[in-house]
Amino acid sequence: MTGHLKSWPIVLALSILSAPLVLMYAYLFIDTFTNAPPGSFIPNEFTLEHWTFLWHTPPGRLSIWRVTLNSLMFATSTATLVVVVSSMAGYVLSRLNVPARGFFLAGVMVLHAFPAITLIVAIFLVLQIVGLYNTLIGVILVKAAIDMPLGIWLMKGFYDTVPWEIEMAGIQDGASRFTVWRKLVLPQVKPGIFALGLFAFLLGWGEFILPQVLAPSGNAQVLSVYLAALIADDNNFDMALFKSVGLFYIAPVLILFFFFQSYLMNIYGGGTKG
Amino acid sequence: MNASRDIARDGSAPLKARAVPARRSFGWLNSSKGLGIVLLTPALMLVVLFFLAPVVLTAVFAFTNMSTATGITGGAYQVSPGTLRVLTDRYGMRELAARLGQPTYIVDEEGLAALEEMGIDPGIIAGLRDEHLGETYSSRREFEREIRDLPDRPSTRTVKQISAEFSRSLANARFGNAGALVAAAEAIDPDLGDAEKEALLDATYTGWTWTTDNFRRLASSPQTTRVLLNTVFFVALTLTLFNTGFAMVLAITTHYIPERPAGIFRIIWFLPRISPAVIYVLLWKWLAWDTGFISAFLDNFGVRPRNWMLGSATNAWVFVILINGFVGASMGMVIFASAIKAIPQSLFHAASVDGAYRWQQVRHIILPHLKWPILFVTCYQTLSLLTAIDHILLSTDGGPGGSTEVWSLWVYHTALNNYAGNLQYGYGAAMALVLVVIGVVLSLIYLRLFNYSALIVKPRIEH
Repeated sequence: MTGHLKSWPIVLALSILSAPLVLMYAYLFIDTFTNAPPGSFIPNEFTLEHWTFLWHTPPGRLSIWRVTLNSLMFATSTATLVVVVSSMAGYVLSRLNVPARGFFLAGVMVLHAFPAITLIVAIFLVLQIVGLYNTLIGVILVKAAIDMPLGIWLMKGFYDTVPWEIEMAGIQDGASRFTVWRKLVLPQVKPGIFALGLFAFLLGWGEFILPQVLAPSGNAQVLSVYLAALIADDNNFDMALFKSVGLFYIAPVLILFFFFQSYLMNIYGGGTKG
Repeated sequence: MNASRDIARDGSAPLKARAVPARRSFGWLNSSKGLGIVLLTPALMLVVLFFLAPVVLTAVFAFTNMSTATGITGGAYQVSPGTLRVLTDRYGMRELAARLGQPTYIVDEEGLAALEEMGIDPGIIAGLRDEHLGETYSSRREFEREIRDLPDRPSTRTVKQISAEFSRSLANARFGNAGALVAAAEAIDPDLGDAEKEALLDATYTGWTWTTDNFRRLASSPQTTRVLLNTVFFVALTLTLFNTGFAMVLAITTHYIPERPAGIFRIIWFLPRISPAVIYVLLWKWLAWDTGFISAFLDNFGVRPRNWMLGSATNAWVFVILINGFVGASMGMVIFASAIKAIPQSLFHAASVDGAYRWQQVRHIILPHLKWPILFVTCYQTLSLLTAIDHILLSTDGGPGGSTEVWSLWVYHTALNNYAGNLQYGYGAAMALVLVVIGVVLSLIYLRLFNYSALIVKPRIEH
């Protein structure tokens, strides 16, 4: 269709536009493993000195492994919660004859569009009053609740593609509606559950503002807050250290994205805001 | 459907036999309604706890003067030179303030009991009770002279201990509730009027109170206009330049190049979105810092190194919009690209045969098909840019000098984190309420715009 048109000028233009991004991400890798003479960006030696944060904990900070564990727990817990709650509610909205179903569906859409971050002042005060401030559990619940409308919306979409015949057959064989959902329909949407779980995990892993406000210090610190505090500390400016911690932090994201990019691009395109 | 269910029941005896006990104990799980309500419950709980309640509470908090100073849970009643001055200045009760402020000594049973507990000589206590019970002294010296004149004359140290026990001055006293304060005030001055009591309670209360001042302050503050303009500027520019404009450029250009390089460019432009905000902004800082890449690069041409991100208000805006725009472009890119893919190939072929230039294809075939996707992206991203906070907070933090402070960041700086340390929860909630109202109204409008009823499919199994 575009046979008589050359594509290399477009590729060239796009390459120039993409150059800053490529440069930034390339130097994320280069700077963590090398040193360069002052004022230059061409490395002259290979080194692992920027990675000593892995086994040497600076005074006054948590061990990087403790923080990583917190991040892992935060991301997996929110992902699990989102998946469980959404796969239940999504099925109802897709298939079941409940009163006011249309209202619930409209509610999910409104909640999905609504920017929940505006509620952070109220949530901050509520967590302080109920004693969940500065705890991992508090942030996990808040993050799961905020991601949930998107999860329900996606799961409803996945359930919509399951053929009705499967359920009808199950019911004719005498299975209860619960059994039909649990044993026959859920296995059909496994890819959807996996995609949503992965997506929710990445959202939790990258989340910054919620833990920063709701669990900034103490033992609940996650990697994003840890790295932000490291960067904000004016006494120890060390770009190579920041980048090494940053690479350590972003590596799981890049690996997961590399393997599952088709899943993720669809979800990002179809659902998320930002 | 009912007929087929009956067949199933009649036709398969073993299945029925298995199903019956299950049906007795979990009958509700077998109806669409019962199961539906059970499966919806966790989601509803989360919605009530973390959406509905916070919306209501934001409105409630907006009408209070809560801050770090007042605390969140109730307060106490603190009498201090400051509150006595308030009593004089605001309520004109100079005399009351003077009476409450001066030291007062009252010989009462409470004080005598305290002396017994301290192990003071019973003779002294008996003497005090017999000769001075119920008397009031307005100076320490006068009272201590009376103590020294007792039959069992105490040592100077004991005199001081005794007089301290009978001190009933309100100065610097703290009371847990209103009743205790009124009782203490009445002990000094039994003839307190209701108006005086009320003024005293008002002046000494340290907790938060209901007020509409937040909104008055918001309406009259010159900063409001400035932040509002900043926000509109930020949203409008980022949205048109990147979230729709540049996203469209990416979607259309990658449509016209071979699949392989197109895929690579899509991945590159997706990196900002999948990267956690902290590390993504760090990479920009590396680019723009005074020891960063741009400075070092321009140094070769004799430009003095400086912080390009925070050097001036214009620079800060350029970076804020670039940082947010690079993230925002990817969503539009994916949505527009799939919309372009959905355009029938025959349209392109026909145009190709007619010898249409690429620009004409874009103008007459692609753009008309992108109308709804563009509207969709504009709607959703307006809301998310309006409330976006992560990237600006991490990059410029509203600086330099507040020039890139947008509304959501202002809320954060007022209520959640600032250098002064006095967090104004109530004022911040009032600011957040503005965003909450805009958010609710816009999302309801979008619901009408993107007709949702088309998405509801009638359940085909009825029971």
